[in-house]
Amino acid sequence: MTNERKFGTAEAVYLTTLVIASKAFYTSIRVMIKITGTAAWYMTIVSCLTSIIFFLLISLVMKRFPGKNLVEIFELVTGRFFGKILTLVFSAYFVYYAGSSLREFLEMIKAYNLPYTPPSLIIFAFMAVVVVLAYIGLEGMVRFASVIFYPVLIGIALILFLAYPYYNVRAIFPIGGYGIAETLKSGFFRSSAYDEVIILAFIINSIDGVKKFRKVGVLSLFISGIVFTSNCLCNIMAFDYTMSSENVSDLFQLARVIYFSRFFQRIESIFLFIWILASLITVGLAFYIAISSFCKAFKISNHRPLILQFAFLTFMVTLLPEGLIQLAKTNIVVLREYSMILVYGIPVLILFISVIFGKRGDSKCLKSVK
Amino acid sequence: MSKKKGFMRTLFSYITYKEKKPKKQFYIPEIDNEDTKSEEQKNTTMKREGQKNRGLKKPVPVSESGKENKPVYEKADDEKISVNIEENIKYIKLKFNSPVNKDIVIRELMVAKKYKAFIAYIDGMVDRITINNFILRALMVNDVKFHEDTDDKCKLDFILSNILQTNQAKKVESSDDFMYEILSGNTLLYVDGCDFYITNETKGYDKRGVEKPLIEGVVIGPQEAFNENLRTNITLIRKLIKNNNLTTEFVKVGNVNKQLCAIVSIKGITNPAIVEEVKRRLKNIKSDMVLGDGILEQFIEDNPYSIVPTILSTERPDRTASHIMEGKVAIFTEGAPFAKIVPVTLPSLMHSPEDSYMRWPYGTLIRLIRFLAAFIATLLPGIYVAITSFHQEMIPTELLIAIAKSKENVPFPTLVEVVLMELSFELIREAGIRIPGIIGNTLGIIGALILGQAAVQANIVSPVLIIVVSVTGLGNFAIPNYSLALSARVSRFCFIILGALLGFYGISIGIAFYIILITNIKSFGVPFFAPIAPKTKESTDLFFRKPVWQQMYRPDYVNALKQKRQDKISRQWMKEEPKYSYERDEEDD
Repeated sequence: MTNERKFGTAEAVYLTTLVIASKAFYTSIRVMIKITGTAAWYMTIVSCLTSIIFFLLISLVMKRFPGKNLVEIFELVTGRFFGKILTLVFSAYFVYYAGSSLREFLEMIKAYNLPYTPPSLIIFAFMAVVVVLAYIGLEGMVRFASVIFYPVLIGIALILFLAYPYYNVRAIFPIGGYGIAETLKSGFFRSSAYDEVIILAFIINSIDGVKKFRKVGVLSLFISGIVFTSNCLCNIMAFDYTMSSENVSDLFQLARVIYFSRFFQRIESIFLFIWILASLITVGLAFYIAISSFCKAFKISNHRPLILQFAFLTFMVTLLPEGLIQLAKTNIVVLREYSMILVYGIPVLILFISVIFGKRGDSKCLKSVK
Repeated sequence: MSKKKGFMRTLFSYITYKEKKPKKQFYIPEIDNEDTKSEEQKNTTMKREGQKNRGLKKPVPVSESGKENKPVYEKADDEKISVNIEENIKYIKLKFNSPVNKDIVIRELMVAKKYKAFIAYIDGMVDRITINNFILRALMVNDVKFHEDTDDKCKLDFILSNILQTNQAKKVESSDDFMYEILSGNTLLYVDGCDFYITNETKGYDKRGVEKPLIEGVVIGPQEAFNENLRTNITLIRKLIKNNNLTTEFVKVGNVNKQLCAIVSIKGITNPAIVEEVKRRLKNIKSDMVLGDGILEQFIEDNPYSIVPTILSTERPDRTASHIMEGKVAIFTEGAPFAKIVPVTLPSLMHSPEDSYMRWPYGTLIRLIRFLAAFIATLLPGIYVAITSFHQEMIPTELLIAIAKSKENVPFPTLVEVVLMELSFELIREAGIRIPGIIGNTLGIIGALILGQAAVQANIVSPVLIIVVSVTGLGNFAIPNYSLALSARVSRFCFIILGALLGFYGISIGIAFYIILITNIKSFGVPFFAPIAPKTKESTDLFFRKPVWQQMYRPDYVNALKQKRQDKISRQWMKEEPKYSYERDEEDD
């Protein structure tokens, strides 16, 4: 593939963490608080731990087939035909992910900042950068992520810190939320919110080895977990669980209430920068992985001729939901609550099949495909 | 059936690719080119054209027009130097278009009253005193010496080792070489019967002295800058780096002007791959038009379409020396008072030599201010437009009222105001550079009074905007690299438009685009945003400047042969006891 060179552990962590954690800017926190009430902040820890376990299972698959990415493993284990189908399922999922994330972003930005701007203009501007990102390739994306990682993280930390006058610790009680069973169940399914970590399995050849792959994945999940937990906790403390579950974007709402003097208020627009940059990397990477896995499935050496076609598909997906309500009820629910069935389920299934049939990444196994 | 077939074919023709039929288009006919067409072909073509257009007057090539007057030239040619003095004189005259060209001087003489000889040089390029005293006098007066050695067939060898008193004299045997020597200001000597020439170092054209830096001024540090003389510039570097491994290599660039370029590096520190790459790029420039370092830069840079420069241009010998010491390569061009440094990264373009001369807290502070200045120069007007058009809630109420009041009588939208003022400011700046010094004061009056005070009073712009534009201008001047400052000027307009179209969202999109572009370009193989993206070994001299004695390593990205610059404890004296020449008494305290 063009420009899929190796990059360091730190860069890979930046990239994956940004993709996972950028949803802190959207409706995720609201939904978590709505489902589990005051227990949302540790429910996400359950999700994070579930994701880490699933990720470690996936790393076992990668370990069985050293030097192979997930697309190649699909073909090695299930044969060329089913392997391609599985890859295409993932490719389609990433197109859906990119389109839905873009739509979610669009709805947020229209609600908070640009109510009178035509949505097509917003999407067009956004997609232009996403296309450039995809054109430049993975290496360019990694570099972009390296530059924006610290500003984004510092920005989130600043919002949480500057809103401290509003924090009321008593708001996190009753600490049990809607019950431990509900918390654990939601925690398990909400692990979908962390399942972008699967992207690492598609680009494992750039990360250099399963050991680093595991390290990068766990670190990214860990940092993302901290981001979500702290966000949930701060929002519950600032708005109480009732109000928090009604905000469109909790983090943005938190930024909006920051007030230190007459000259230091309503500064939420400043945080638009980090919000947009993080969203760009999320959509950009998902978009790129969709094209890249498609190309890998069909052994297409250069992904660039497919960019515009996939951009069109993503644009279509973006336009599918009728409005914010439908988006939140279907797309976001699929992405954040049920996608783990697909994203973690397929690789784990592959693991079982490879164990049962004793398939390994050796020359014998390679011959069976060739 | 056939009708259906025809319909299907038409239908397919809409969705299939078809090669376009070649269409005859207008073009301007070429003038006969000596290189591409043989003489014979030309004659036949012209004949044919002549037959077709009898009424038109045929153009005659320059080479043919002067055919009758062309001197008959027999033996001396581009490959071989004739042993006949007449032929050599004719050949040089022919090559330098003499007698039409009056610059070439051919002085015929008799060496030791018996050997025919001549010297050739270009008037104005040479030092006449050297020629008179140490070439002509030596040749014409020293006839006693010639009696000692009468067996030697070619006298030039004898003259070279015994007679000539110039500091550099050497044999040249090809026409390309001797012509280049003449063009460089050296004097050519030929004695009848020899098949080679001797060139003497007699360069003596006027040059500017070593003066203060005009563009990269500093408060602390050396106050001398390069001039237009290549040798002087290299000497200025040698003055700072007294090391036998400092190596200078020369490459001639360009087809017509043969621009002499010097590649300076330190053997044993600089990665040889960089030097080789520089040489490869310079040697492979096939153009007539390589006049100066600016043009040369455009020929050798990695990303010619990038908005930011990827080669550092400096007029300061100390800055050049410090980069060479870091393992980079400096390129000098004859006639240019700048050195080009490769490879460079964006952070290094933002550094100034002054940072290193100062103690680290001061150096760090001024460096951070410079980064802030770059941010302001690029984004401030765009952010102002975005805030006033889209994010008014950000402005505190009192300030908002003040801005609204000041804008009350201004008929234009903010975008028009900003573009108007920015363009005016650009005009002032551009005019300021072009204006003759004697009327320089007028510019200040126009700028300050008319565009500032009067524009506000006439309700064309609001006073707040004047502040914004002024601060932006100041920020731009604080960027230490001129090319980088220009890129900030260009991108500022893009950000103004994005801010006016989409507010902060547009600016964020622009920033993302900018980051993507600059993180994906390279300067001689080095990613331009190193050591941030890609992340390389931690730099001690990036945004924050550590004390000089803690800067242990050279920049990681240049892959220098010797990474370590100094010992871990560079201040070795700290480990030793101070040696006093006297015993200290308790009362001394």
